[in-house]
Amino acid sequence: MDGRARNLIEQTIKSLKRRGVDYADLRWVKELHEEIIVQNLAVQHISHSTSEGVSIRVLHRGAWGYAASSRLDGPGLKHTADQALEMARAVALTSQGKISLPAVEPVRAHYATSLEVDPFQVELQKKLDYLFWAAQVLKDHPNIKTATASLEFYRTNKLFCSTEGSLIEQETTESGGMLEATAILGNEVQRRSYPTANSSSLNQGGYESVKGLDFIGQAARVRKEAVELLRAKECPAEMTTVILMPDQLILQLHESCGHPVELDRALGMELSFAGGSFLTPDLLDHFRYGSKWVNITADATTPSGCGTFGYDDEGVPAQRVPIIRDGIFVGYLSSRETAGRIKRSSSGAMRAEGWNSVPIVRMTNVNLEPGTGTVADLIRDTKKGILMATNKSWSIDDRRLNFQFGTEIGWEIKNGAVGQVLKNPMYTGITPEFWGSCNGVAGKGEWQLFGVPNCAKGEPVQIMHVGHGASPARFERVQVGRKR
Amino acid sequence: MLLGESRIVTALRKAAKASPADETLIAAQRESFTTFRFAGERIHQNFQEEDVTVWIKVACGGRMGVATTCSLSHEALMRAIESAVTIARVTAKQVAPAFSTAPSKTQTPKLTTHFPATVHQPLTEIVPMIQRLWTKAKSSGMSLAGSFVRGEEELAVVGSRGLTQYQPFSIAGLRLVPTKGRASGFSAQAVRDLNILDSEGLLARAMRFCRMNENPQEIPLGKYNVLLEPEAVAELLEWLGYIGFGAKQVMERTSFMAGRMGEKIMGRSISIHDDGANPEGLGVPFDYEGIPKQRVSLIDQGVASGIVYDSQFAKLHRQTSTGHAGSYDQYEGPLPTNLFLSAGDTSREELLKKMDRGLWITRFHYVSGLLKTQEALMTGLTRDGTFLVKKGKSNGAVKNLRFTQSILEAFSNVAAASKERHLVADPAQGLSAAVCPALLIKNFTFTGQTK
Repeated sequence: MDGRARNLIEQTIKSLKRRGVDYADLRWVKELHEEIIVQNLAVQHISHSTSEGVSIRVLHRGAWGYAASSRLDGPGLKHTADQALEMARAVALTSQGKISLPAVEPVRAHYATSLEVDPFQVELQKKLDYLFWAAQVLKDHPNIKTATASLEFYRTNKLFCSTEGSLIEQETTESGGMLEATAILGNEVQRRSYPTANSSSLNQGGYESVKGLDFIGQAARVRKEAVELLRAKECPAEMTTVILMPDQLILQLHESCGHPVELDRALGMELSFAGGSFLTPDLLDHFRYGSKWVNITADATTPSGCGTFGYDDEGVPAQRVPIIRDGIFVGYLSSRETAGRIKRSSSGAMRAEGWNSVPIVRMTNVNLEPGTGTVADLIRDTKKGILMATNKSWSIDDRRLNFQFGTEIGWEIKNGAVGQVLKNPMYTGITPEFWGSCNGVAGKGEWQLFGVPNCAKGEPVQIMHVGHGASPARFERVQVGRKR
Repeated sequence: MLLGESRIVTALRKAAKASPADETLIAAQRESFTTFRFAGERIHQNFQEEDVTVWIKVACGGRMGVATTCSLSHEALMRAIESAVTIARVTAKQVAPAFSTAPSKTQTPKLTTHFPATVHQPLTEIVPMIQRLWTKAKSSGMSLAGSFVRGEEELAVVGSRGLTQYQPFSIAGLRLVPTKGRASGFSAQAVRDLNILDSEGLLARAMRFCRMNENPQEIPLGKYNVLLEPEAVAELLEWLGYIGFGAKQVMERTSFMAGRMGEKIMGRSISIHDDGANPEGLGVPFDYEGIPKQRVSLIDQGVASGIVYDSQFAKLHRQTSTGHAGSYDQYEGPLPTNLFLSAGDTSREELLKKMDRGLWITRFHYVSGLLKTQEALMTGLTRDGTFLVKKGKSNGAVKNLRFTQSILEAFSNVAAASKERHLVADPAQGLSAAVCPALLIKNFTFTGQTK
């Protein structure tokens, strides 16, 4: 950001202080996005997007007021500040209880993603060559009707400035992509994806991280499994043991742990839209969420995570916060205001999708901590069960208890060995019962981190990039398949 | 305040004229929204936002490039055009879209979609209105959560071959969820004209559901006849639109419509169409390519009858565009966004009386239509009111239920539809909506229950 714009921003904050606000902060955000999609050996889509603007938040007469605009000149910033104040004054009319905002230490700081190769400096042709090669391997079977390979890059620059004296600059770079093969035989249509389905898996890092995904090497496996699914047996409907691979476990974590531990949900602030949470504050520190194997952490410091940053969008430093310890519910994702309401300090999880959205409590990197051994050990110890991989569908109730997930592929496990492929696997359960049935989590060697770029929350809906890491894990007495 | 046709179109025309590409198409969407979210007798989020997004699509020698920006300044538009041209130059030659020429005035429906009163009501009147609602809920022993959204949008499309389209929109919406202990109710409305927003009526409906929803019981899982309120029907309809009625999904054969055109796939009483020009919905006269929206019959008396196209998929399928292009940076292909499900001839009250035994469902939560898209197999949960009906009357609340059900099968088992229809929309996305009746459906499958 140039010196003139920075000066205007600092002047705007000073001016709000002079106007007597209790507190104010300003976020300037500029985001670049590049997306490249190759489908069936032709470029399907390439786009470059730029978005830039400011959001101003004021606490005045005990009420919040927010406004955002892409007008970045002096009059534009003043207009946005006026709008934020107007909102706060209008809300103050309700004579609701005054909002208390626990203090944070003001900081002057800088954070940037560590990267080797800037993806925005890599020639487009080079990216296309990588995708065409992968797509060619992916398409190389008569039953593969649609082969898609894509890359996606984000660069976000932020400047946060508050009346408390914080001035924080951050630059994050995210890189990722995906492969997807759709196989068709008669009326049977099956899909396999890599690294995750339905959207790119992103990580913080440069072009080196997409090269590390090894699309060319993985494409042959993805193609083979998509074709195998066409003639596979349907996943049976029964109660059985399930082993989930990390590319499914991350959605299980996301929906049944990440969302219910958002403190704004638990306090009822999301009741009208996303819903509430069964993990209410009275359960903190004693409720058994899962078995002793289950240790879940919200970690905004995970290297290369999509939910990693230096400071959140209200200037709170990134933290590693225990959420579930030895199966017991011990922590929330929270903001300054929500944490204050339960007499705790913010876990640094206040995040906004962009300049034109309000920061709300969001996931950072919500990770299942590794256990011991390997997935091979888990399989070897399983007499009968199903191994499931790659999320395909997801659904959970408004308090985050009753869930149902579908995966792209499954394999029978019989007498400690992996058997035939199963199509259309799905399983369902109740959150604490399911995590309570966990009797094994594989070790560090098989722990994988994924970026989920499509977490939806808030009104208007904000789409957030969050991260999840997990090793394969095993669960007993799980209802699988489609009951009719 | 609207920026206005002259200011937006002039900026886009100047950029299109200066573009070095063979053809240039520019769409601009400018929006200004005010949002209040409330819970526990306080407004916990409020937000005023002004934003503009400009999408640019260029063709150079049969190659295409797309770029977006968030400014209408000539410099920003030219930078985006330059970026799109750079992309086009490295892209392999492909089936380029047929860029739109200026539609004649008679082709584009005239719609009144902007009501100044919607955006002119002062905040100092809106906030007390919200407070009155939660005070009223409190006097009945309930706590009220919800949101109020109002705003305006402008959509303009300009092409280098002379195309010019512009339309302003206003939108307002109120969503209410009263709670009493674990019981909750729901009601919502989205309108173009704030004057017809019925906040008191919405509160009364939501509070009635909340009162009925106390002490929910468990019931055995299995098949039940169901009465679905329009909000529940709309969620299923929107998923059908997303997974099935677009040309891309049909071409990739993931759609339940693929290879089944002319075949009966739902009951005779079901007709579904998409119509951006129908003022009963949230009218939108043209798409992001400036093509006037056509009325497209998707299901005609149960028979698969049509899908929607943009110019690119129309060319691939040797069809003409139906006016369903999305913004140029999305790649889900053309989608129906103004869906209508045919009404029946039974009044809403009579529908309930027709039920001997079954479940009355106010709305669904977290529906996923991705289980098996070729069968429209979906799962989801009930929320904010599920009631056991015996002999035409509610016989108490039941705990929220999970369904796992082919919607093709469900829409083949429709016993009756209400003659009244309800517009269901998210006011923050004021260019799409579904208009639905309530439906009485036989043998709907429930596979799980919440605690």
